[in-house]
Amino acid sequence: MGKLRTLTRRTFLVGSSAVAGGVAFGVYRAKAPFENPNLAELPEGAASFNPWVIIDAEKITLIAPHADKGQGVFSAQAALIAEELDIELDQVEISFGTPDKAYMNGALTAAMVPFPQYDYGKVAEGARRFVGGVVRAALPIMGTGGSSAMPDSYDKLREAGAVARETLKAAASQQAGVPIEDLRTENGAVWLPDGTALTYTSLAATAAQIEPVTNVALRDPSQWRILGKPMERVDIVAKSTGTLPYGIDYKTEGMLFATVKVNPRQGGALISFDATAALAMDGITDVFEITGGIAVVANNTWTAIHAANAVTCEWRKATYPPEQDAHWAALSASFTDDRLNAEARNVGDVDAALGAEVIAEYRSPYVAHAPLEPLNATILVSDDRVDVWTGHQLQMFAVDMVAEITGMDGDNVHLHNQFIGGSFGHRLEFDYLKQAAEIAVKMRGTPVKMTYSREEDFAHDFPRHITMGRGIGKHENGKVTALDVQIAGQSVMTSQMSRMGFSLPGPDTQLHEGAWDYPNLNLPNIRVRSYKETGLAPVSSWRSVGAAPNGFIYDTLLDETIHAAGADPLMERIRLMGHEVSVKVLETVGEMCGWNGHDLGTGRGRGVAYVFSFGVPVATVVEVTQTDRGIRLDEVWVAADVGQVIDPVNLENLAQGGTLFGLGHAMNCEITYSDGMAQQSNYHDHEAMRLYQAPKVNFTALENNPKIKGFGEPPVPPAAPALGNAIFAATGQRIRELPFNKHIDFV
Amino acid sequence: MQSLFRIFMPVFVCILGTISWADGDTPATISAPAAGSVTPAEGLAAFDRVYEVVSHPRCANCHTGPDNVPMWYGDSAGPARPHGMNINAGQSRIGVETLICSSCHRTSADLRSAPHAPPRAGLDWQLAPVEFEWFGKTPAEICAQLSDPDRNGGRDWMGLAEHLVDDAGHFGFVLWGWNPGGGRDPAPYSLQAHVDDVLIWGVAGQPCPVDTN
Amino acid sequence: MQASFTVNGTVRSVDVPEDMPLLWILRDKIGLMGTKYGCGIAQCGACTVHLDGIAVRSCQVRAYELDGAEITTIEGLGTPDTPHPVQEAWIETQVAQCGYCQSGQIMQAVSMLSDNPSPSDDEIDDVMSGNLCRCGTYPRIREAVRLAIQKQGA
Repeated sequence: MGKLRTLTRRTFLVGSSAVAGGVAFGVYRAKAPFENPNLAELPEGAASFNPWVIIDAEKITLIAPHADKGQGVFSAQAALIAEELDIELDQVEISFGTPDKAYMNGALTAAMVPFPQYDYGKVAEGARRFVGGVVRAALPIMGTGGSSAMPDSYDKLREAGAVARETLKAAASQQAGVPIEDLRTENGAVWLPDGTALTYTSLAATAAQIEPVTNVALRDPSQWRILGKPMERVDIVAKSTGTLPYGIDYKTEGMLFATVKVNPRQGGALISFDATAALAMDGITDVFEITGGIAVVANNTWTAIHAANAVTCEWRKATYPPEQDAHWAALSASFTDDRLNAEARNVGDVDAALGAEVIAEYRSPYVAHAPLEPLNATILVSDDRVDVWTGHQLQMFAVDMVAEITGMDGDNVHLHNQFIGGSFGHRLEFDYLKQAAEIAVKMRGTPVKMTYSREEDFAHDFPRHITMGRGIGKHENGKVTALDVQIAGQSVMTSQMSRMGFSLPGPDTQLHEGAWDYPNLNLPNIRVRSYKETGLAPVSSWRSVGAAPNGFIYDTLLDETIHAAGADPLMERIRLMGHEVSVKVLETVGEMCGWNGHDLGTGRGRGVAYVFSFGVPVATVVEVTQTDRGIRLDEVWVAADVGQVIDPVNLENLAQGGTLFGLGHAMNCEITYSDGMAQQSNYHDHEAMRLYQAPKVNFTALENNPKIKGFGEPPVPPAAPALGNAIFAATGQRIRELPFNKHIDFV
Repeated sequence: MQSLFRIFMPVFVCILGTISWADGDTPATISAPAAGSVTPAEGLAAFDRVYEVVSHPRCANCHTGPDNVPMWYGDSAGPARPHGMNINAGQSRIGVETLICSSCHRTSADLRSAPHAPPRAGLDWQLAPVEFEWFGKTPAEICAQLSDPDRNGGRDWMGLAEHLVDDAGHFGFVLWGWNPGGGRDPAPYSLQAHVDDVLIWGVAGQPCPVDTN
Repeated sequence: MQASFTVNGTVRSVDVPEDMPLLWILRDKIGLMGTKYGCGIAQCGACTVHLDGIAVRSCQVRAYELDGAEITTIEGLGTPDTPHPVQEAWIETQVAQCGYCQSGQIMQAVSMLSDNPSPSDDEIDDVMSGNLCRCGTYPRIREAVRLAIQKQGA
């Protein structure tokens, strides 16, 4: 323990805090229900005022417990603390900390109440507090997902910084005999009236002896030094110089390298295998059976992968239909009362509503996560402890999974969370970790790094759930009068939770998320119903989860109905919206692009789309041109409202990246099954966006949302319908099936 | 520059691999039928087989036109589409203007490659000269082109046959066409049969088919 | 086989299988982790290094090609304290999200700019489209390349 690596010129710490033995402090405020995990092993003279700040005579350590898979939350968490602590980010070390319920995510429950997230009324807020309390008591989840890191951290981490600051001032007051009112803090020090600076580190020992000051007020954003202004992410230098270690880069003395080959028919068993050829290769340590397949251990990763390819295996069949057509057929047959997941919204009377009808059916395929860093984990099983080096979004569950497989008490399983080279949801899954743990048990005493080949990563992804939509739109006198949307999908929450040992209580909200909460408060007749299928391929949360397919279905139906009505796609959306924050978002995107209708003349067109997800309204306009070789994406405009902006630079990057992520997959990505196996194996046939196809993405952030929201996912859902709507505007061709390249070429 | 050793050392490696002829042999031999021994019909039939080869994805994908864009097409590559990643070989046909082909397609006599990985050959990977465009062309068009010294590298039919054998001797693209690695379908027939067909066609007077449409 | 070559100015001699890719020699034998594994088949560009001054996908370069070669990896380009001008441009533009592809992006960009100090936008698209970024940082990659052009021209 305590092996700290210098990563960048802004030194920061990765891994668990290097503390042992020490002083105990009281919990810093009554409403914080969990003990501060830093106290257990705190050395003499070090102070930890709360779970997020540790100061000793040498250094200041900030704990940033949310997993960072590229969204920049490592930096943002530290900035929230540093703002109130009056310290600069280059004066601290930052650590992912130790998995502990003290770091429970208090924002994950926002989507668990039956109120749309734009509803901030008393009843909705009360329900959120209640559910939050229940979950906190019953199952405190430390986790990163659902674009929740900023909502979870915003108050909590600023308070953590403020508590530490005020406690340090109290310590300085005691040490220097100066009244607290005469002290100020700046640049990592408490300043006395005579200009003397007492650094925080010099105050640690004194601070460790006093009760933390808890009655602190948070600063008004107008006083901020760091937050709300362009920041330099603390990982940006390391990531630009190849010096940031991801999980896959972990190395330690005596380490061996492994890979797995697991039944490509997901969940199917291994019948038998022949490793003769593999075992004959130089550098092979062992080949053995693990759950559902085999593992190869070697003296380097390439040899392990090479050898795994040479192992012949006989597999059992999958439990889901082997051929893709049957998956669509199953969904097609799911729009029945007995499969009803929820009637999530029913306003007015869609059946009785008057108007001409638009009737359409939509398809959204399985899509792979395929983060660029292949899944990996390094595990060392020792006699009295297990060490795990991997990047995971559900840290405590990860510990539990490894504990179960290694037979070790969870307290002795030490997860050292690592930087993650993209996830898009895949790092919420556990298979790779369980496989690494099985290998480590077999190789007891030797650290083993298990890495998936890219092909294994594709074969063993749990892709985005497959979805089919059926809609009826009605219009009269140039106005949309009704939308009746039905969505059938493989239940992503049922599938994902089953792998964590839970059954899903109640309906799967992801089967209508992004459709039921599309405000349209001025549309008199709306019905959104979802239907649940559970017998298809195992699936998992894919960046924005239900909102991507459902937003595509809902917004495209709306667009079709608006066009049929002869109305303007942007103006009619604004008229229907009725949700002021969202109206401003739509108006803004219109101003940004100089909206003057969808038709830009021969072969050119614009599509607008809007989706509300994770509490964030996002409107996207895509402009395309039809060339002789296919559709060209010319330019994109995005407006969104996340409430308070923490870092405008990172927010813009997420807006651009999330939009391109949404566009790229809408253009050319799907996973299809044949003989029970995913037919796509690598990036050549699941390509997503490349640079030459990436249009310029203009972004404007509004700050009218009453609460701060996360932005990792919300830019994704409107991208696909905006592109489809643009293609229609340019060509007259309405494509109702993703990916679009099944029907049209792109240049 | 790479040393010759680094380029041709793999010859010895690959002899153990996919290439089937023994050390010291040539990959194909030239043995033309006697003059006058081949009928025009036999010559046309031979050209049909030649066309099957040159229009096969293993060959035609890199015999593309003045846009300098190689194609991805056939068996494991699926329906025809431009080479992914926006690849453009440029007027140099070898990618020096942009991304040189050998960034991915290594020059090596070791013709093995993983499925969907960039194939490699003993000559620097490149597009054929633009006047040798075959992709999407009809039999009559390709036949006229192969018969025209301005568009075939200044060769008569014997020169074409010799070119095939010579290229193969360098572990070049001709040889690769029948040893493409990575689970790709090889070109039809065999290198020797293809050389023989060119000779039959040549001895028959290079008869060309007429496009029916 | 024994392969002797230079990595970032240091002579290395490794005993490896003759068709072991340079990518894995760098990562698992030499311990230089800045060069990333993403696909293994030259589809993503994350493993891009310079071989004798030219950008190549190190997953496609086999050990038997390496004797006498001069390899530069991202670690040899610049350091956190003294970044290469292209790395400076990447830092100032704040390109990275997850950052996993950026070593390869930067190595490709440096190679491009050494051949062509002021590429057009189309040329940037042609050269850089072999490097996949799953996070979609492409607008910033373009911006950083343009900034690097300015820096190197200055």
